[in-house]
Amino acid sequence: MAEQHERLSLEHILHEFEDCADLTRRNFPEIGADIVYFSHTVDNLLLINQVLDPLSALQRKKELEQLLRESQFVRVTDSKTAVTGILEGGVAVFAADTVHLIDVYGPEARSVSESETESIIAGPHDAFVESATTNISLIRRRIRSSHLKVIHCSVGEISKTDVYILYIKDIANLAYVQDLQQRIERIETDAINDGGMLSQYLEDKQTSVFPQFLTTERPDVSSSKLVSGKILVLIDNSPTSISAPASFFEFFSSSDDYYERWVLGTALRLVRYVALIITLTFTALYVAVTTFHYEMIPEALLLTLAESRNRVPFPPVYEALLMEFTIELLREAGARLPTKVGQTIGIVGGIVIGQAAVQAGLTSNILIISVASSAIASFVIPNYLMSASLRVIRFGIIILAGIWGNMGLVIAIAVIVIHLCSLSSLGASYLVPVAPMRGRDWKDVFIRAPFSLLLTRPTQNRTPNPIRQKNRK
Amino acid sequence: MNEKIRPFNLAVLVYMSQVGIVVFTLPRTLADYFGTNGWLILIPCFLLSGFNIYLISLVYKLGNGRSVFEIMEQSIPKPLLYPFYMGLTAVWMMFGCVIGKKYVLLFQMLAFPTTNPMLFKLMFDILAFMLITKGIYTISRAATMFFWITAWMYLLLLWVLPDFNWVRLTPFILQGGHNQFKGLLEVYGAFLGYEISILLFPYIDRRKKMMAAIQAGNAYLSVSYINLGLVSFGIFSSDQLKQLLYPLLDILAYIQFPFVERLENLLYGFFMFLVLMTVVMYWWGAVETAGRIVPRLKRQVLAFVLLAITYGISFLPKTIDEIDAWISFLGNITTGVAFGLPVLLITVLLIQKKGEKSGG
Repeated sequence: MAEQHERLSLEHILHEFEDCADLTRRNFPEIGADIVYFSHTVDNLLLINQVLDPLSALQRKKELEQLLRESQFVRVTDSKTAVTGILEGGVAVFAADTVHLIDVYGPEARSVSESETESIIAGPHDAFVESATTNISLIRRRIRSSHLKVIHCSVGEISKTDVYILYIKDIANLAYVQDLQQRIERIETDAINDGGMLSQYLEDKQTSVFPQFLTTERPDVSSSKLVSGKILVLIDNSPTSISAPASFFEFFSSSDDYYERWVLGTALRLVRYVALIITLTFTALYVAVTTFHYEMIPEALLLTLAESRNRVPFPPVYEALLMEFTIELLREAGARLPTKVGQTIGIVGGIVIGQAAVQAGLTSNILIISVASSAIASFVIPNYLMSASLRVIRFGIIILAGIWGNMGLVIAIAVIVIHLCSLSSLGASYLVPVAPMRGRDWKDVFIRAPFSLLLTRPTQNRTPNPIRQKNRK
Repeated sequence: MNEKIRPFNLAVLVYMSQVGIVVFTLPRTLADYFGTNGWLILIPCFLLSGFNIYLISLVYKLGNGRSVFEIMEQSIPKPLLYPFYMGLTAVWMMFGCVIGKKYVLLFQMLAFPTTNPMLFKLMFDILAFMLITKGIYTISRAATMFFWITAWMYLLLLWVLPDFNWVRLTPFILQGGHNQFKGLLEVYGAFLGYEISILLFPYIDRRKKMMAAIQAGNAYLSVSYINLGLVSFGIFSSDQLKQLLYPLLDILAYIQFPFVERLENLLYGFFMFLVLMTVVMYWWGAVETAGRIVPRLKRQVLAFVLLAITYGISFLPKTIDEIDAWISFLGNITTGVAFGLPVLLITVLLIQKKGEKSGG
């Protein structure tokens, strides 16, 4: 006990933060008090109102004792708590032989703005920011219920990043909440910097190419997931939220679907599934047909195709891989560059792969069309992680189609389907509602039925309260 | 999570394990052995398979949903049982293997005459291995996915309907056939696959009407066979069907779109999903059975060893004719197993019940 008391002294804390030039220490000689804090993690107004002004106003030590009895000052007796408190935006007040902490956390943060990766046409435009508390406030503003519960955990042995698990009591399945909490607590790593990174630590199969949790930057999407019985995970310093469990088909719906008329929402969903098929198979089918199965092309089209391909010196599979790779280069370059320079990339890329490659005899016109349609189709898929995964898989399909034609294409599809079948998200099948079959959910997965028909919550969430809407009109 | 196979998925699983390579030759077999309106023979086959499934459901009821292996091991001494298990494993492994080989040979004939078919067979076996080692729940999910991926192909029959003519069916019934008993066995082979459901008892949801689901899977298969039979007899007539090696491929080759034609080899690729599921279910059954003999051996290792052995054996039959002979021979044994196994189990269960009564 004596040792602990000795360790928790101003000297010890200063020693602990030795060589931390950003630590601020102030002294109040009249009352014999010292305060220690990090100026960039505290809210300046709070600091002045709650600490600096009251302490400056004091004249005698007795008054200080009285002030420290107020509830915002928390007495600490061990140095670990004091150090953590200072790191978490507290001010440590050292007076005589006692130490108190007061929480005045309020770091600088980006203000709420539009999401750049998940833009929509109709609906709310605000997006999460890097502060988890602001993000929770964006959710609470949308779900004003005391049933919205928040569990706090922390991850990262060094970073000690705050992680919050959000769920709605009586709607979310508590088994999932517990499972998720255990998975978060089991993580042992130095630091986790983003929601996307955290979700990979939490997944059932980390080696898979597919994302097994849905990540989003949009608070409206997140709160609708919560209301449907899913669990949300927010991590401090990241605008990405994770919702679990997730199904493969969930990645193909966007929040616009609900904000627009149901017919339009349904049409858009169907377009996205067609896009999935195009992005995976179109170029591969071109390769299969032009390498092995010329008989599949009707005579009129065959002449055009042969004319277009007659100057190309490579087998179709090389030609396709070359163009797909160029498109990936352009996409990656465009993503890294500032918007103004990014436009140049678009123009250069457009000319190079649109015109020059064909004229130089490196590739055929029809291939350009097929590669471009595959690329465009991949961008139709609303979730960036899913669309990126599908683009990677596409290369494998093209290579297999180049080796074994249509059979290679079919084998590739089989491999993907078998892999998808073996995946799960928090232990629930990744392919719900198709396998296992849940016909009831189809009307909010492949189509977006009118709201009067969307009466139940998705079955994958195993919610104790499956009825979403009672009045049938 | 306590996952159980649900009725819809069971029905799909049964259907998917039944429909396989035979579908390509079925109309010809019907016309060849039974002559005019041979497709009618599918109806008694459907009833017969329905009866066999009824026997399986009796096993389920009498055994209270216990695993069939448990039922047998309770009453039959192991020295007797193990050779029986080995026999079952061998039959099911080989039957699956020759079905896979036939699919591969057909594909080679269609599109890749110069490629070594055993390469395709290797790829096919790898796919099957991936599924078998992941367990029955993944297999059931895959069956459901493949079912939806292939279900739309029935709509293609609509494409040929304008050429359907009732006159070609003729008013005569089953005229011009030969060796009808052999034909019946061969046609019945098209229905096989449902018998593996006898091994699924521990994995299904007991609260639901699972036996009805198996019947539903079989009924769906029968309806699609009858459709296919009727359409092919109405398009080709029974005499022409006798001349066609693979009438279904001819139907598929007939379909044309403005931007693509001769779809048969792409569509034939889609049939791989159906054949794969049939083979996987037989092999899964075989691995489960062999697993009772060597319970300590990891399933992955066991599956690998068994698949490697059958892959080796599949080098032996080289031509489609040889394969057909193997298929019909193994098919007959599998039919025997399909009826014999439930009958054996029912007998064992009745004896067990009698023993319990007299003992209690």
